[in-house]
Amino acid sequence: MKPAQFDYVAARSPDDVVAALADGTTHVLAGGQSLVLEMNFRSVRPRRLVDINGVAGFGDIALDPAVLRVGPLVRHRAFESDAVPGPLGVLLRRVAHHIAHPPIRARGTMAGSLAYAHPAAEWPALAAALDAEIELRGPGGSRVVRAGEFFTGPFRTARRPDELLAEVRLPLLPAGTAVGFVEHRRTRASFAQLAALAAVTVADGRVVTASVGLVNAADRPVRATAAEAALIGRALDDDAIADAARAAARDDADPGPQPYADIAYQRHAVAVLTRRALTQARDGA
Amino acid sequence: MARTIGARLQRREDPPLVRGAGTYVGDLRVRGCLEAAFVRSDVAHGELRAVDLAAARRLPDVAGAWSHADLPSLPDTPPMLDQESVRGRPWPALATGRVRYVGEPLAIVVAADRYLAEDARDAARVDIAPLPVLLDPAEAAGSAVRLFPGSDNVALQRDFGEPIEESVWRDAAVVVEAGYRQQLLAHTYLEARAILVDPRPDGAMTVWASHQAPHRLRADLAGAFGVRPDQVRVIVPDVGGAFGGKSQTWPEYLAVAAAARRLGRPVRWSEDRAEALTGPPHGRGQNQRVRMAADADGRILAYELHIDADVGAYPHTGAIVPMISAMIATGAYAIPRVHVRARSVVTNTAPTAPYRGAGRPEAASAIERTVELLARRLGMDPADLRRRNFIAPQDFPYATPTGFTYDSGDYAGTLDAALRDLDYDGWRAEQAHRRHAGGRPIGIGLCTYVERSGVGAEFGAVEACPDGTFVALSGCCSTGQGHETSFPQVVAAVLDVDVDRVRLVERDTAVVPHGTGSFASRSMQIGGAALYRAAGDLIETARQRAAATWALPVDDVGYRGGELVAGDRRMTLGELAGAGQLRADVTAAPPEAFPFGAYAAVVEVDPDLGDVTVLRIAAVDDCGVAVNPMIVDGQGYGSAVQGLGQALYEHVRYAPDGTPAARSLLDYLIPTVSELPSLHFAATCTPNPNTPLGAKGAGEAGCIGAPPAIVNAVADALDLDDRSALQMPLTPYTCWSAAR
Repeated sequence: MKPAQFDYVAARSPDDVVAALADGTTHVLAGGQSLVLEMNFRSVRPRRLVDINGVAGFGDIALDPAVLRVGPLVRHRAFESDAVPGPLGVLLRRVAHHIAHPPIRARGTMAGSLAYAHPAAEWPALAAALDAEIELRGPGGSRVVRAGEFFTGPFRTARRPDELLAEVRLPLLPAGTAVGFVEHRRTRASFAQLAALAAVTVADGRVVTASVGLVNAADRPVRATAAEAALIGRALDDDAIADAARAAARDDADPGPQPYADIAYQRHAVAVLTRRALTQARDGA
Repeated sequence: MARTIGARLQRREDPPLVRGAGTYVGDLRVRGCLEAAFVRSDVAHGELRAVDLAAARRLPDVAGAWSHADLPSLPDTPPMLDQESVRGRPWPALATGRVRYVGEPLAIVVAADRYLAEDARDAARVDIAPLPVLLDPAEAAGSAVRLFPGSDNVALQRDFGEPIEESVWRDAAVVVEAGYRQQLLAHTYLEARAILVDPRPDGAMTVWASHQAPHRLRADLAGAFGVRPDQVRVIVPDVGGAFGGKSQTWPEYLAVAAAARRLGRPVRWSEDRAEALTGPPHGRGQNQRVRMAADADGRILAYELHIDADVGAYPHTGAIVPMISAMIATGAYAIPRVHVRARSVVTNTAPTAPYRGAGRPEAASAIERTVELLARRLGMDPADLRRRNFIAPQDFPYATPTGFTYDSGDYAGTLDAALRDLDYDGWRAEQAHRRHAGGRPIGIGLCTYVERSGVGAEFGAVEACPDGTFVALSGCCSTGQGHETSFPQVVAAVLDVDVDRVRLVERDTAVVPHGTGSFASRSMQIGGAALYRAAGDLIETARQRAAATWALPVDDVGYRGGELVAGDRRMTLGELAGAGQLRADVTAAPPEAFPFGAYAAVVEVDPDLGDVTVLRIAAVDDCGVAVNPMIVDGQGYGSAVQGLGQALYEHVRYAPDGTPAARSLLDYLIPTVSELPSLHFAATCTPNPNTPLGAKGAGEAGCIGAPPAIVNAVADALDLDDRSALQMPLTPYTCWSAAR
């Protein structure tokens, strides 16, 4: 479990990173919590790593009026604090707390998790549910891809090899948005078997907006649009939640083979977790 | 006299270990040492046509690369414990002719460091023509495909007890039948296997190994390479766990020694986690069928157990494990008719070995699950049913129908204590309340067990030093059990001196003349008994010498607190040692012992998802005299958590083509501190009647008692009549499916 030979370059500026990536065979080293493991197994053999840990500003979180901007070196752990205000901050805290365990949260990054696109990772489902914008910076400049188009399969994204995932932009959630996140995993150290998150706004007793995301319910992160549609315009009561849970299981989830669960169980669990996430949001638990 | 026996002394070995200052094989700095890696088969069963190492040898800083063809005199893996299963089924150190499991070593490559060695490993070209793959022992037993042409896939088959007449089953008030799976488990030590061989030009070698039995390794290496045993020095530095997987002379060890001898340079191999999870050893791996008959009052009339054990590709130490299960099959119960048939079957999985508990967890799981099934069928409280069938305290020594003689026991005593510690009645009331009023279901499960500990002889010596200190030498080999602390406690107690004046030396064959090692919970029972006797002999020798010195009859020389006393004459053992070596050597071989105990578990099940939460485990173990109860408790925690692992998480799985599913601990799940339930340990003490020390084996009980207690509790929570789907590990999906 030792990596094959690779070159290493430490970037000092965003331009350094983009220049290093131009050869198309260089990988970005941020937290290294997935990349280095893959390298140790030699399932990934980068010709070169560009280390972005020394790039000023990459670890910054910025709060615009309507958007949270997350740099490429912001660690999972940053979201466990109350750095982000409002309902989005609450949701980020709940999600971050479920990522791996503290030593990994201290090193791993949100941007790295999105770029890696592990189907059982938490941040990609959050990005998909909230329709995050992802800025990719390459030799030709920057482009922005919506999370819905960014994730193209297991460990596959719209990012080209010569592009840096330069920023994640999450829309702030309006005051009063109810949020929930529940995760199902076998041990505290294991990947999620499944997780569900919800962000719902209610006005005059009716659901106005709903974002529901599913982790590991398909080969890529899922925005559960059928579940969302089942909620809009209705009171956030047990019936609506049950309908949304059923829709998530039936229409939104697309589970594949898993070592310890058949498809029927996975769909059933999607319903259970969606119900629990929405109930948690409603009850403020 | 016994002031240090029973004392909860802090472990002497811990300060360096917890500061990261321990020295494991991987920490050794030996000048010029090279690192080895292995080219391994990625085919589970096939004809090995070619291993091409030309490209590997051309890489920079590669010292050498050898397949079996390059090392024709490379010895086969030496058999251990059992010769019968090995006959006709040799285990080459590097595969030749055929491969039989994914991960089997095909070649060894040696380079300046491990990175380069893995480069060379990847440069090897291998040609294997696949053969049909056998993964299930029952299927393999009847298959026309033979792993070893000319030899049956059933490597060993034995019957225990007597076949039971059909009329017994026909006439019994109640008969229950069931099938259980003891899944394959990995020996998940923190430090995997490791060896460093430093050869000398004259054929001698110094070997550092992460091992449980250094004298056996010495004998095997000497035999394999045709040198005298005294030319091989085996040193065991700090060891990060062993659990039965480090008693053996593994194929990789032979290949490392052969490479080092060819190169005339030291070579180290440190097994990595991927190798450890995919290669040998694995543990457990039994398919069991049981039948139990009882009368209407719950008295067990007959018990039948059939075991098909998957012992992996090469029958080795794993082949005898199901025989241990067979001999301990009836557990704590007096059962008039018993029959066990055990088969050890070769398959295309990695070879198995004893794993903490070694046959006893498998046996306890089978009978303890069946007893609870019987209780449910009879509508009896499972604790009452057990009490009705226990071997009574006055019936010891008790000869089991399967060939063991239990030395002593009070099985109802430990069960009653465990139920009290658990608050059994309180939890039963809570269970009834939840069943009536709603809430997540809870269940209570029990396990009473008997285990066998300690086999063979052990060396122990005690020497008095002129400076007033004492050295204890033992043939045992601590792999984390705390011998440096507990063995001096034994010696200090007999010598009646301060424990700080006694230090232990073990784990070096150049200093300890012979030994057996640490496995089968034998260290304190047998190694401790040897030191106890050696310390006593030392006092007797000292009294005789003092008597001669003082020209007195021996009976006039007394002994107290490290001093010989006669009237107003006084002489310390140190003073006597200054006049000539004062040392006593002993080899003790007391009979095996039979510790026992009871585990009680409470679980809560999430009925929507099938998640099991273990709320509480109360355990009462009886290992006779506990020299250091803190260490015994620590062993209890460790083994109970490993038992929790078998019950809920751990499973070595294979794809249909024989590819192992897990190469890291992200896929092979073990419980960590986050999964730790509330554990309550207590002890009763029924001293070993066969040694003056009175210690029986300790340290494996949790692996034996926890899994059936947890599985029984889950079955109870789910209120299941049909428990056939409830097979370990109890994943959420398993429990959810079983409840539907």
